[in-house]
Amino acid sequence: MRVLVVLPLYGGSLPVGRYCAGALRELGHQVEVFEAPDFYDSYRALKSLKVTSDRLQYLENSYLQVVGQAILAKVETFEPDLVLAMAQAPLSIQALKRLKRDGVPTAMWFVEDYRLFTYWQAYAQHYDFFAVIQKDEFLAQLQQLGVEKSLYLPLAAHPEVHKRLELLSAERRKFGSDVSFMGAGYPNRRMAFRDLVRFDFKIWGTDWDGDAILAPYVQMDGARVSSEDCVRIFNATKVNINLHSSIQARELVTGGDFVNPRTFEVAACGAFQLVDRRGLMAELFVTDGPEAELAVFDDMAELPGRIEHFLAHPEERVAMAKRGQARVLAEHTYAARMRTLLDFIATRKPGWPKPRVSAAASQGLPPELATEIDALLERLGLPADTGFEDLVWAVRSQQGKLGGLDAAVLFLDEWRKLYVRKG
Amino acid sequence: MRTLVIQLARFGDLVQTKRLLRSLIAGGGEVHLCLDRSLAELARLLYPEAVLHPVCAHGTGLGKLPPQEQAAALLAANIPAFRQLSALDFGRVYNLNFSPLNFRMAALFDPDCVRGHVWRSGQEEVGQWARLAMRWSSMRRLGLNIADFWAWHLPRPMPAEDVNPAAQGRGGGLGVVMAGRESRRSLPPRELAALTTALLETWPELAGKPVTLFGTAGEAKAAHQLVRELPAKHAGAVRNLCGGTDWATLAAETGGLDLLLTPDTGTMHLAAALGVPVMATFLSSAWCTETGPYGQGHRVLQAVTDCLPCLESQPCDFGVACLRPFAQGLLTRYLATGAAKHLPEGLIDFASGTDGLGVSYDARAGEDTSAGARARFRTFLARHLCAGGAWQDEPVREFAERLYAERDWLVPDAESSALRLGVSAL
Repeated sequence: MRVLVVLPLYGGSLPVGRYCAGALRELGHQVEVFEAPDFYDSYRALKSLKVTSDRLQYLENSYLQVVGQAILAKVETFEPDLVLAMAQAPLSIQALKRLKRDGVPTAMWFVEDYRLFTYWQAYAQHYDFFAVIQKDEFLAQLQQLGVEKSLYLPLAAHPEVHKRLELLSAERRKFGSDVSFMGAGYPNRRMAFRDLVRFDFKIWGTDWDGDAILAPYVQMDGARVSSEDCVRIFNATKVNINLHSSIQARELVTGGDFVNPRTFEVAACGAFQLVDRRGLMAELFVTDGPEAELAVFDDMAELPGRIEHFLAHPEERVAMAKRGQARVLAEHTYAARMRTLLDFIATRKPGWPKPRVSAAASQGLPPELATEIDALLERLGLPADTGFEDLVWAVRSQQGKLGGLDAAVLFLDEWRKLYVRKG
Repeated sequence: MRTLVIQLARFGDLVQTKRLLRSLIAGGGEVHLCLDRSLAELARLLYPEAVLHPVCAHGTGLGKLPPQEQAAALLAANIPAFRQLSALDFGRVYNLNFSPLNFRMAALFDPDCVRGHVWRSGQEEVGQWARLAMRWSSMRRLGLNIADFWAWHLPRPMPAEDVNPAAQGRGGGLGVVMAGRESRRSLPPRELAALTTALLETWPELAGKPVTLFGTAGEAKAAHQLVRELPAKHAGAVRNLCGGTDWATLAAETGGLDLLLTPDTGTMHLAAALGVPVMATFLSSAWCTETGPYGQGHRVLQAVTDCLPCLESQPCDFGVACLRPFAQGLLTRYLATGAAKHLPEGLIDFASGTDGLGVSYDARAGEDTSAGARARFRTFLARHLCAGGAWQDEPVREFAERLYAERDWLVPDAESSALRLGVSAL
């Protein structure tokens, strides 16, 4: 089927959106991505105008309407079976109403803490399907809003990115340490990590400025770390600390519900982590006993002791990391999540996706042409029974100059629209 | 430099590409032309210096085949041609038609080399010059001849007066084109017979010479009707070539005429290209400032009822009022006397000429209420193209405000005036 993944302009759900797109392709679907980040610089430029606030609001709203129109135009051209929006995707209510009117199924994967990002109260009911990373209270809230088709869909890892790496010694020196933390400097983390400076400790990520105690441990001057370097850090570190974020510093380990992406990503790398226990963790990983897949801690007091123990017992780290990795690869990949989401939609929306009446692209062609088309399908990574329309879209999605066969396929498609479908 | 022109439209459009192609050929370098294969023979006659790349673009001929046979035929014809085009290193590609087929074909080339209709990694792009033309296309009575629009993709096309030989009779009598592709643009047999008779009886150079009918096989019946409507003395002089000409014959026959009476057709453009005088009848959707015969010395009887120019795809609610002036006996008198007072109301008799921009039309008779606006529009375009339009003259603000859009100027555009000429504002 065809899925249009709508990314947010910026933020944490951006990489998740890209992993979803990758996973959907892995599952054999035709995927287009609406690259909202490309529009973000222009949006930000409006803020430097030095105009009145009402004028600025007008301009920002107008701009976002344009972005929404761009998504609608993309939908019109791509004709997706599903528009999958990531949290904070720039789809206005007006645009969502239009999609509903046009019968285009929409889903949002709200990969945020609903208590912190409260805008879902205005938007959720405009989506046909609403996937969330929290349960109970949130699902009940959605129910009250009249959002019938919501589902719990925990975060995951993307093994194509999150994997075991053989690092060069220079990379080990740069990214490695006994203990490290990768993430933003939220208040609970700032407080918690003061007790860890006695270890060979490195802090990676942004928003750590203004903390004199931790400043010497912050790497790369607190610059943003790329996804690739995150994976290097996970691989190079003996004990990866994973402390879920909280905006309050009073309670350092909050015991919240959802499990963050880092949990899955570190595990997918076959790396070892010490992670604070979460309400929804036990149904995702074995956290206790000899077959534990994750090493957890319940409060900061026990953390230094746990770190010391695992630094002293590398064999335990390796064994647990292997079990965690196996579990993630088996159950907690974005491919698995996307399959779950699509199955959920399919069971609640009879007749979806509508079958496309498109014969295999090479069907009926003379052998020499069929061979050419088959080779093109293979080159584009498409199955041999791909329909002509999907082939056209895949050809169109290529970058740069096209070869003669590719252009001839696009040409045939337009020629048919001009001369065949009318009649 | 090796240059490619992609012209996938019809007969008349191929002929109207002449100013662009002749300018490129005159500039030296290797000129290639990609076109529908049905027009290759004609292109060889018109542009023997050009390297042709025929492709299968038109629906004609394939329409009745089952879908997969259509696909096989189209791919078999086009894959080798496209590969050949792809392998050639073109320094510039002029992709002329606003058509999805042209956009797809542009995918074969580096988008920075393509002018007009561009394909950039899956995105269709229209260059600034073509975008401007889309905006002025709503002002059809002003317009710019499409031959000039295409030619002005170049910074300096050849002078308009050098494109076609000046119109001059060749001794072969009167030619009559039965109809164009759009029937409402053509005169019915009765009106056509009246006009034919008027010309035969009032133009001395046509006296006693043959009358040659041109058209497709489908127009043979209309040709017979025309012959029946003609007085016997003229009917006997008719040679009916409808459906009986290949491109070479059509060019030879057209090129030998004294005058061609025609609606807006490919044959009209062919006659003008060969320097044969044209008397054209423009009504309905046809407007001579857009597609009139190219060169000096042609005439256009242009219907100018208020509803014109119309869209032929929509039904006419006015009983084809634009046809009525052609049915009046007064027209015969006008053709005989040339006196403006005899020209029926609702018509302008335009004579073609040329200026710094291209072909132009001036009224010999009839009230040309658009003349002033057209002159200012041409000044605006000439200034836009850095092709004259003296700046000391009054500004043409109404066109600048109406035709320029911010996006034309706020971001670099390869088709902007400055970049076309290879200069910078700084």
